[in-house]
Amino acid sequence: MIGRLLTALNLVLLTSILLVVLVVSSLYLWLNQDLPQLPENLQHINLSLPTEIYSSDGERIKILGERHPIALEDISPFFTKAIIGVEDSRFYSHSGIDHRGLVRALWTNFRQKRIAQGGSTITQQLSKNLFFSFERNWVRKIKELLIAFQLEATFNKDQILQAYCNQIYFGSGAYGVEEAAQIYFGKRAKDLTLLQAALLAGLPNSPNNANPFSHYERAMQRTNYVLNRMVSENLISFDEKELAQQSNLDLINPRVESNPNFYFVDQVLEQIERSYGKEFVHFGGLKIFTTLDTRYQKIAFKSAHNHLEDLEGKIVKKLSDGPLQAALVSVENKSGAVRAMLGGKDYSYSQFNRSVSNNRMPGSSFKPFVYFTAMKELGYSPSSVVVDEPLTIPIPGSEPWSPQNFDQEFAGNIILKKALMKSINIISAKLINEVGIEKVIKTARRFGIKSSLGKNPSLALGTSGLSPYEVASAYSVIANLGIYNEPYLIQHIEDFQGNRLYENYYHGVQQFLPESLYPLLNMMQGVIDGGTGRVVRRMGFRHPAGGKTGTTNDFKDAWFNGFTKDISTSVWVGFDNNQPMKEKSGKGLTGASAAAPIWVYFMQKVLEGKSPVKFPVPDKIKFATVDVQTGYFPDELSVSTMQVAVKEDVELSAPLVVSEDQEPNETDVLPEPANTGYIKP
Amino acid sequence: MKFTGVRKLWHGVASLIVLSAFLSLEFYTNLFEKSVGYYLKWQNHKRPQLGRMWEQDRQSLVAQAKIKSIRSTLDLQEEATLGIPSFKHLFEDISPGFPLVVSREKFLQLYYDFPGQWSERIISSYDLIDLDSKKIWDRVLLKRFGPWITLQFIDRQNIPIHELFISVDTLFEVQATRTVKRGTLEESNFIVNRIFSISEFLPILKSLDSVTQKAVFPQPRWFLAKNYHVTRVGISDFPAGNLSQHLLFGVEYDTDYYTGVLLVPVAMELANNIMSQIEKADLTELNSNEALSALGESS
Repeated sequence: MIGRLLTALNLVLLTSILLVVLVVSSLYLWLNQDLPQLPENLQHINLSLPTEIYSSDGERIKILGERHPIALEDISPFFTKAIIGVEDSRFYSHSGIDHRGLVRALWTNFRQKRIAQGGSTITQQLSKNLFFSFERNWVRKIKELLIAFQLEATFNKDQILQAYCNQIYFGSGAYGVEEAAQIYFGKRAKDLTLLQAALLAGLPNSPNNANPFSHYERAMQRTNYVLNRMVSENLISFDEKELAQQSNLDLINPRVESNPNFYFVDQVLEQIERSYGKEFVHFGGLKIFTTLDTRYQKIAFKSAHNHLEDLEGKIVKKLSDGPLQAALVSVENKSGAVRAMLGGKDYSYSQFNRSVSNNRMPGSSFKPFVYFTAMKELGYSPSSVVVDEPLTIPIPGSEPWSPQNFDQEFAGNIILKKALMKSINIISAKLINEVGIEKVIKTARRFGIKSSLGKNPSLALGTSGLSPYEVASAYSVIANLGIYNEPYLIQHIEDFQGNRLYENYYHGVQQFLPESLYPLLNMMQGVIDGGTGRVVRRMGFRHPAGGKTGTTNDFKDAWFNGFTKDISTSVWVGFDNNQPMKEKSGKGLTGASAAAPIWVYFMQKVLEGKSPVKFPVPDKIKFATVDVQTGYFPDELSVSTMQVAVKEDVELSAPLVVSEDQEPNETDVLPEPANTGYIKP
Repeated sequence: MKFTGVRKLWHGVASLIVLSAFLSLEFYTNLFEKSVGYYLKWQNHKRPQLGRMWEQDRQSLVAQAKIKSIRSTLDLQEEATLGIPSFKHLFEDISPGFPLVVSREKFLQLYYDFPGQWSERIISSYDLIDLDSKKIWDRVLLKRFGPWITLQFIDRQNIPIHELFISVDTLFEVQATRTVKRGTLEESNFIVNRIFSISEFLPILKSLDSVTQKAVFPQPRWFLAKNYHVTRVGISDFPAGNLSQHLLFGVEYDTDYYTGVLLVPVAMELANNIMSQIEKADLTELNSNEALSALGESS
């Protein structure tokens, strides 16, 4: 009986051993080509250099692929004890697999009929982190185990532990114990206290659920568990544990990921990735020097944030509307350098960059391009008289289009400058109808507008979407008196040795003659000094400036775009879901009320301490005061007058009127008003 | 029978002891894991570089390869820029859409290396001193747009500190067409009876007014500073390239390694005037020699 029992037992044991050997051999043969090669040195894993991004004022605004590999001696012994205690208490005695731990995990998984427990050793975890995906399946687990055996056979325990400490994820974007110590406690890993070390050691198992920033209680429970494990493994004494539990954790505030610079940074990365590939940026160890001025950016964020908060309190909105958003781009006129780029209210809420990717209807912000085309192509000047009256434009194959003015009123005879200052829709529609849509589009392209523009008359009222980035750039052409500088974000890129790999050179192109553009510039100064943008002056902005408001149908978009001699800035305000912005009183938010205050606050702060700089007046330009209704020098019948800047050859004297009893001659015939409503071109 | 039973039992016990010993050995020495580990280590080099870690390594290699390629292109450009032989070539080498960047040092070298006043006409040396006084002039960026060439004097951050626009026609000005060739005057098709030694020519050069001097001869510093020893001059009997109203004035010089010729297009009347003066000087010399011979002396 005993003999048979022994034989059976022997058979079982022998079969088991043979089975294990057979299974392992078969698995090896099967997985051989899927098993990765190990490097000669585990330090190799942290060799890739980080890429750093700098602002134009020298601030390091982002580090990509940052790793802080450190030697085991530079890690607090509390941490190494804690991580061993909680993750792998028999780390120093096994050879890659913990038999007891494995049996326990197998039993649990068998009972629960799923992979509920890993029972992985530190070596196995390192194997997984270095080479394998995070999905849980048996094949991956076996590969991980085989590589763990090889790790143990190739490296000593301290090397494995050091690689593990430098590689493991601790939540909150921290890879490696050094970075984790910095993120959670603002100190070096060698300076961690027992309590802090225990907290960190508890994180690799559940970096999100036990994250002290978001789940403090759970994190402390896990910390206490780690401390208890340390006591039970005789890694610390009970008294030490008690003392640690009474000490302060000294957790620092979490890193705020709402850094408004990140909109700009994302754009920079996208540009470089597009040109050179993703690897170049993330693994190149580059130094990227950008045009961003962090002072400007902070002011942009503050001005947008404060005003949006103020508006949020006044407007009516649904929960689905989300927060009111804003975008701002500021371009240096002389170079095209983008000094500020705000893509939204809060980067942590939404990373979508509204300043470059969100083409929204610019409304009246587009009108300067229509007026300029009319002046250039039809010989009109700011003193040319146009008639603001009901208008219907026939559209072939469609219903005729009858544009309406914002205030539903008509001004009658009015000079172009005044019409732009009042942002009269009818006049803009008349001008595009007269000059032709293609010519307006062609002009807009020369101003640097690249977005697609609809070939329909409503383009005059800004119905084709544009981004603040291109509007700011296009307006800088006006401030520059015709010179277009391609806007750019990257000044130069260096490799880790300081060799320049890319440089931006100024690429100014004189698109328009200064004397052609100055009258428009002067008209846009009028918008701010006494037109729809006069809120700018009312808010105390004293620098010479030009600009234009923009408000679209139903108050869905509010724009204010303007420039001084040195900077052009475009501001957009609206909802992401294109909902109207209306106050509780029913009054809609306009470019002047929603966007202009942001522009003013930003420009005021940016130009603080700087002397006002006047726009240079080109040759062949004259200034004159004219009658707003006739466009001629004022006379005793003039009700309203205005100063205009026109080309020298523009005639501003009223022609002689022929009296009824006098024979007309060729030189003093009063011109007939044109059919289009123009009296004096 | 009983003996057989005992023997079987004994075998069973022995097998169990062996197996238990084997299991104990495994339990205490991790024999199995170590064997597998060492075997895998032995086979390591045969396996592919797979997994996240090697992927990162590969991406890093791709990035470094890209950087290397960019650097080699930039180095080639820099070498090409360093190899620009003359101030005029500096402008001729610009292709539309491909700006050229030269260092301040190279620009100044080419500027002062030009054998004549043309470089001074592009930008005065006093303007260069003015630019340089700001201590931020780093490089010169040259761009071509249609009939215009832009010269931007830029700082380290590529911000222009001075900008010049010159017409492409400037490159075809007479002063710009001075060229340097290897070889003798004869090899440049000058005929023997229109070639004169420098000692014959210098007295005539000295007698010319300063404007004419500059029109035919560069600053002597141009030769002296380079260790060019001027030996002969010549006046061509053929037009200077496209300049039909000009003849070539050639200055031959010897260096330690070769003989070179500086070719200066000069207005036909000026060339003829110099030619006649040299011939007159020859004649005068001949006459004086004859007179001296008559007196029984020789020079």
